[in-house]
Amino acid sequence: MPKTFEAGAPDEGAPDQGAADQGYAVSVHNLWKSFGEQVAVAGIDLELPAGRFIGLVGPNGAGKTTTLSMVTGLLRPDDGTVLITGHDVWTDPVAVKSRIGVLPEGLRLFERLSGRELLAYTGRLRGLPGAEVDKRAAQLLDVLDLSAAQNKLVVDYSTGMRKKIGLAAALLHNPEVLFLDEPFEGVDPVSAQVIRGVLERYTRSGATVVFSSHVMELVESLCDWVAVMAAGRIVAQGPLADVRGEASSLQDAFLSLVGATERGGQDLDWLGGAR
Amino acid sequence: MSAPATHPSVTPVFIRLKLAIIRNGLRQSTGRTIGWIVGVVFAMLYGLAMGVGMIALRHSEYGPAAAVGLAVVLIIGWAVMPLFLFGGDDTLDPTRLAMLPLRPRPLISALLISSLLGVGPVFTVIVTAGAVSALAGNAVSIVVAIVAVALVLLLCVALSRAVAAANTRLLTSRKGRDLALLSGLFVAVGAQLVNLGASSLASSDGLDRVKSLASVLRWLPPAPAIDAVRAATGGSYGLAVLELLYVAAVLALVIRWWHHSLYRLMVTPDASTLQAAEKEAGTGGGRLAALLPGGRTGTVMERQFRYAWRDPRSKAAWATALAVGLLLPIVAAVQHGSIYSACWAAGLLGMQMYNQFGVDGSAFWTVASTISTRADAHAELRARALALSTVAVPYVTIVTIGAALLLGRPDAVPETLGLSLALLGALIAAGAFASVRFPYALPQDNPFGSSAPGQGGLAAISLFGGGLTGAACCLPLVGLTIYLHVADHHAYLWILLPIGALYAVTLAAASLRFTAPRLLNRLPEILTAVAKG
Repeated sequence: MPKTFEAGAPDEGAPDQGAADQGYAVSVHNLWKSFGEQVAVAGIDLELPAGRFIGLVGPNGAGKTTTLSMVTGLLRPDDGTVLITGHDVWTDPVAVKSRIGVLPEGLRLFERLSGRELLAYTGRLRGLPGAEVDKRAAQLLDVLDLSAAQNKLVVDYSTGMRKKIGLAAALLHNPEVLFLDEPFEGVDPVSAQVIRGVLERYTRSGATVVFSSHVMELVESLCDWVAVMAAGRIVAQGPLADVRGEASSLQDAFLSLVGATERGGQDLDWLGGAR
Repeated sequence: MSAPATHPSVTPVFIRLKLAIIRNGLRQSTGRTIGWIVGVVFAMLYGLAMGVGMIALRHSEYGPAAAVGLAVVLIIGWAVMPLFLFGGDDTLDPTRLAMLPLRPRPLISALLISSLLGVGPVFTVIVTAGAVSALAGNAVSIVVAIVAVALVLLLCVALSRAVAAANTRLLTSRKGRDLALLSGLFVAVGAQLVNLGASSLASSDGLDRVKSLASVLRWLPPAPAIDAVRAATGGSYGLAVLELLYVAAVLALVIRWWHHSLYRLMVTPDASTLQAAEKEAGTGGGRLAALLPGGRTGTVMERQFRYAWRDPRSKAAWATALAVGLLLPIVAAVQHGSIYSACWAAGLLGMQMYNQFGVDGSAFWTVASTISTRADAHAELRARALALSTVAVPYVTIVTIGAALLLGRPDAVPETLGLSLALLGALIAAGAFASVRFPYALPQDNPFGSSAPGQGGLAAISLFGGGLTGAACCLPLVGLTIYLHVADHHAYLWILLPIGALYAVTLAAASLRFTAPRLLNRLPEILTAVAKG
């Protein structure tokens, strides 16, 4: 088990590794949000370099969704600032909303539209020309393996198909930064591989992907930059190798970072015993 | 119990499960508890009233016919109920038990007995007891009556369960739930028809018709069980026994059907995971899009129209507004009421503008993340207002002209139409503002609910306050109408039409302009409010 971590110490100073050559895609300063008594996000600072595949990891209830909602302008923070490629989310929505794509978790799509209609609707809301929207939509549906279901209502889609159509809608306007909240949750391996392929191609073009997950193996294999959240705070952030440190895997590093000890099993001595 | 001796019976488990479900349902919120208690008290009072009413018919010649009719109404109610309330009772869904190692036979007895717990069965027992009390006379007939009540109850419950089991696949599918939602409308219309039928029965020869009807219904189970009581009182013991046996045989058949459906449900895979039938190709920008304006306005209007047709909640709201908006003026016309009742069409359709974003639910995030300027916000609101007006303006015009013709007052068309249009414009204006200022979530699990738990107050503010505000906005025009009438300037009443139309357009446009920046500033707050459902 790893004992200490030097990398990504949650100090005030922003880590500058790996981001020297590019600007920050996302920079968050002193972000706060509480729901009644419950403090969901407790003053986080986050600097995410552009052009990276970034994983936001943390246990359930760590505040990942709340953070992503505030960063994408869907939830108003109690305090703090969020800059996306240098533009303030709350004072410059025109610059920000055209530059980001979002796949939220727990929010619906307009499910009574077919997959193709949903893309046509979203693209036109984004102000893209109709013909261009239809061309991009057809290509996205094809790449994401949704062509056969394009005329089916989204309400009848499976979880994996919903994630894929949501991803297509988020990519349609070719955003600079893509925010995905649990994009692989409940997705079958085949769809997951498809989503993965699309995202890898997208980041190779210089775009930034920020996604939240609690599946460490996935984050470890996809991301080159990681931010770890626990109880509403960022406990580590930095390049994957730095955050992992000397631990054998990101999983082990994560467990010790969030303070989860080896627990459970002692009292269940009947389990696996004589039947 | 038919369970093997080595296995403990599952019946007590199911009884406890049912009680726990009732208890936990009540624990969710005080509002729900109060609603449930009020519902129970109401049902019990209604049941008692019906029971007492039946007893009051004890020596009436219509007693037997009424008792038989009541039994038939009960069984129809029980048979139809699962189709509407399926989502409300988890214990009705046998697929939840498919993974458990249960054999159908003990499962059926357990489900049947646990089904006897609840308000419905108590209601049924009270009403049936009243019905047999109206018919029982001697000691034998009392014994027959007790058997009859038990048979009626068992048959009702078993049939309800069997219908649910046979239709589970339909009812758990998305299409089935959509249908169930719209069926609320059919119930409302059906209630009107029943109302009509009842009033025709209340006429002079109506009661004789009940008797002739009853002579047929007497053979429809469980009515023979009730009729057996009458037979026993009259001394025809053989007939009474035969009728009881007949109902018992039907009960056995129903249980067999139930057994069969349950068995099939538990051993065949759920077809809902298979591919649904492909629908015909719906083009991204089809004929509809060609007629709509370009840009955000047309895009949003197109989606509004698609939702009015495809989303059962929107469809029900539209259908209700259109139907009631037509019905009220017609009723008024038939009763030689006021021509101004034609304004109902405008009023009901205008109310559709309220809580626009609550209808979107959490999908509103798509709207929120694509509105970045005041112009976007304005286009979004304008599109929703235009989509509504596209239907409402022609409809209101037709209803107004129709009502005027029915009442023989074509001269009143301009002023009524002018008032109607002004009301529509005022409601659109107030509705757009209320949608932004007082958004509230619609419950996702209960399609009939008008607001999510805890948001009832907000819904009331938005609807009633908004409705009043909208009506108040029309006061200048109402004042002008009254003045023209009182001052005897009837020749000038026609000017209300252009003034009303202009007033509506101006008011709506001003409100959209006023509301647009507020929508832009409140996007996250609206999303938080409407995503709660």
